Amino acid sequence: MYDLIVIGAGPGGYEAAAHAGRLGMKTLLAEKEFIGGTCLNVGCIPTKTFLKSARLFSECRSAAAYGVEIAGAKWNQAAVVQRKNKVVSTLTRGVEALLKKNRVEVVRAAARLQSAGLVQVGDRRLEARNILIATGARPAVPPIPGIDSPSVLDSTAVLNLTEVPARVAVIGGGYIGLELAGFFFAAGAAVTVLEMLPRIASGSDADISSRLQQAFKKSGVTLKTSCKVTRIEGNRISCLDDQGAAFETEAECIVNATGRVPVVQDLGLEELGIDLDRKGIKVDERGRTSLPGVWACGDVTGRRQLAHAATREGLVAVNEMAGRRDRIRYEAIPSVIYTHPEVACVGWTEEELKAQGKEYKKALVPMAVAGRFLVENEGGSGVVKVLAGARYGEILGVHMLGDLSSEFIVAAAQMMEMEMRIADVEKVVFPHPTVSEALKLALLEIA
Amino acid sequence: MAIPIEMPKLGNTVEECLLAKWRKQVGEPVSEGEIIAEIETDKAVFELKAPASGTLLATFFQSGDAVPVFANVCVLGHPGEPFELFRPQAGDPPPGPAPSSDSRTTAEPPPPQAAAAPAAAAASPDRPSLSPRARRFARERHFYPEAITGSGAGGRILESDLLERYHRSPRPSPLAKALLDDGFQIREEPSEAAGLIRSSDLRPPAAKISTMRERIARRMRESLSSTAQYTMNASASAVGLLALRSRIKAGHLAQSWPDININEMVLFCAVRALEQVPELNVEFLDGRIYRTEEIHIGFACDTPRGLVVPVVRNCRRLEIAELARKIKTLARQASEGSIAREDLGGGTFTVTNLGVFGIESFTPILNPPQVAILGVNAIGLKPVRGKDGGVEFVEHIGLSLTCDHQVIDGAPGARFLKTVREKIEAIESLAPFPR
Repeated sequence: MYDLIVIGAGPGGYEAAAHAGRLGMKTLLAEKEFIGGTCLNVGCIPTKTFLKSARLFSECRSAAAYGVEIAGAKWNQAAVVQRKNKVVSTLTRGVEALLKKNRVEVVRAAARLQSAGLVQVGDRRLEARNILIATGARPAVPPIPGIDSPSVLDSTAVLNLTEVPARVAVIGGGYIGLELAGFFFAAGAAVTVLEMLPRIASGSDADISSRLQQAFKKSGVTLKTSCKVTRIEGNRISCLDDQGAAFETEAECIVNATGRVPVVQDLGLEELGIDLDRKGIKVDERGRTSLPGVWACGDVTGRRQLAHAATREGLVAVNEMAGRRDRIRYEAIPSVIYTHPEVACVGWTEEELKAQGKEYKKALVPMAVAGRFLVENEGGSGVVKVLAGARYGEILGVHMLGDLSSEFIVAAAQMMEMEMRIADVEKVVFPHPTVSEALKLALLEIA
Repeated sequence: MAIPIEMPKLGNTVEECLLAKWRKQVGEPVSEGEIIAEIETDKAVFELKAPASGTLLATFFQSGDAVPVFANVCVLGHPGEPFELFRPQAGDPPPGPAPSSDSRTTAEPPPPQAAAAPAAAAASPDRPSLSPRARRFARERHFYPEAITGSGAGGRILESDLLERYHRSPRPSPLAKALLDDGFQIREEPSEAAGLIRSSDLRPPAAKISTMRERIARRMRESLSSTAQYTMNASASAVGLLALRSRIKAGHLAQSWPDININEMVLFCAVRALEQVPELNVEFLDGRIYRTEEIHIGFACDTPRGLVVPVVRNCRRLEIAELARKIKTLARQASEGSIAREDLGGGTFTVTNLGVFGIESFTPILNPPQVAILGVNAIGLKPVRGKDGGVEFVEHIGLSLTCDHQVIDGAPGARFLKTVREKIEAIESLAPFPR
């Protein structure tokens, strides 16, 4: 009898399993494919290694602006893939070590629920007091005729390309599409992004997404918003623009980045009557599914498709199993888009606050107020936007565009998690010179 | 000569101070200006200094005791000098605790004593009292822990006891603290066992109800607890009401007639029915039935401030036009808030109408000492058996009558409701409506 069987070894599952082990629970982790899940193998980490190479390459080309002349920089896709594999393998070993240290039994096999408390793992039937489903998500396949053409790759297949195509079309202007567009563009491809909604990064605050859109356009990426892809034939993509007029575009490589769908098949969920819909398994704020003893976390629940949200959800579920009251606060979970410039956000957007009828104050400060930003980003632009409650000054949202805002958004997330007010953060000292000083100045502008 | 040291009066309203800590023990030499003890009020810690040099001969309280101001706390002098005469006695200036054992005057720490200081004794036996400083600490931080054991005399809770617990307990986030200062309250169970009390764990301050709301609430509770009320439902054909109403709307009546609405027509029928069934037009007070000759009808009005029930006096033999005029005037005054007090009481029967909201049946609540109230419901189609044996649909108005069974049994109640129905169905023959 196990205290916990976790299905899926992504950042939701493996962190939860390790935490359960740390709390002294007898834990088994079943994984049918990769330790580390999407994040480590075909998501966050590999794409970031690609983006690092792309950034370096574009910096070589713009190095003259910093007084460094570099001639003959060349892109070597095979070496880029090789480095990615090395990073992934190092991190996978790290995850394995973490699981071992916390006495988690890892089984490389598919798992299927037989009933509450009983799981088929490979050819074994195992009893467990708690079952945590953390099977994640996979790339969605939208109903576009020709989406199954060989020229169409999803975010996973892209990672194994042996060379950079001359022309790339990316379907979907969300964070996956934008990161891949940025990568291909920096690596030398001509890139077109086709987004169905009126703006790219549509979940972001409009002040941020509109500036990101400008930055993309300025860099030379072609953006088509309010654009519906109607058909794919070989390298040709047929689209309708916002006026309903048809147009075509061509690309050797077509990237399908239209979102991700939960992995809920072959788990025995329907047979057990566990509540689920198109977005995923339904859970409460503590991770409970409709079947007692069965929990779920991460992308399979369709709540926030972010690795760190999955991790937190997993920890909350394990804490609850162990009788430690816990819950997740989504408004304090930061998110990052690794474009150039980067987007880093936490909390409510201004549009969401307006829809809620919440009274707020705001500050919008250019990143260039921080000396370090100018030093690091020749010709770059960026902005920090802070939203705070009109009456109490509690921080409601922080939205940033600019490198390297991803590295200090955690400060804003902590302020929100602790429910600090602007008056409370005035005492926080930000190191000088850092880009984070732009955040400080934006906070002070509201005070 | 030995000198007593008394508890100073630290502020105009301070009646007692807490002896927080002895800094000197009995038998120790003390120099002038040296600190003998620490005293707490709810505002600050003070130091009790020696007015002269000498030896601490005796202490009359232990740390944690609440000491009345001006009571002798200890005695300084030469070893061997008598000090008993300085011991505070019961009833002495302000009464102090009466120590019974001489062990208190020794250098040994006194044993914990069950007899508490006056303030503590006055507090509830199962809830130890808070020292003034502890009280302020709790107030400022909205921190009121359950089941805390005080380390002061008689379990009195000192600031240090709270401080220790405070650092181990969930605390409000900065935002939650600001909300608490604004009167928000912590819900029964914070959703996290430790860590932060967040804004989502709070609920907004309860809205204070108006005097009028409070009066309505009290009267409704009294009604339900002091009567044996029951409700029965019936319906009357509304054909006559509707025909009359459409004639009035079309302006077929004389200029001098007011715009009589359905509610006023039903009220008029209720008066006529009460004339015929006077058992319901009574008051029931202290087990006695008081018959009233006159009929004073109250009618429920929904106003911006809540329910108001104006009363039309002396309705017996009142013509419908006059009744309608009076109702309209009172309703307007009730809505404006200008209605006179005497127009709000003394009713012998009440009519309440929710029909305008489409309500099909409800349970009106009695207005004691009245024994009946008539609810008027919406008009709707009802299938009835026609003269030729077929089914036809006829407009009916719903009626809900609540009676007090202490006075009105089912049959007389039903008889009255039947009478109302007949009056409604014969409305056009009841009054001299100009054709």
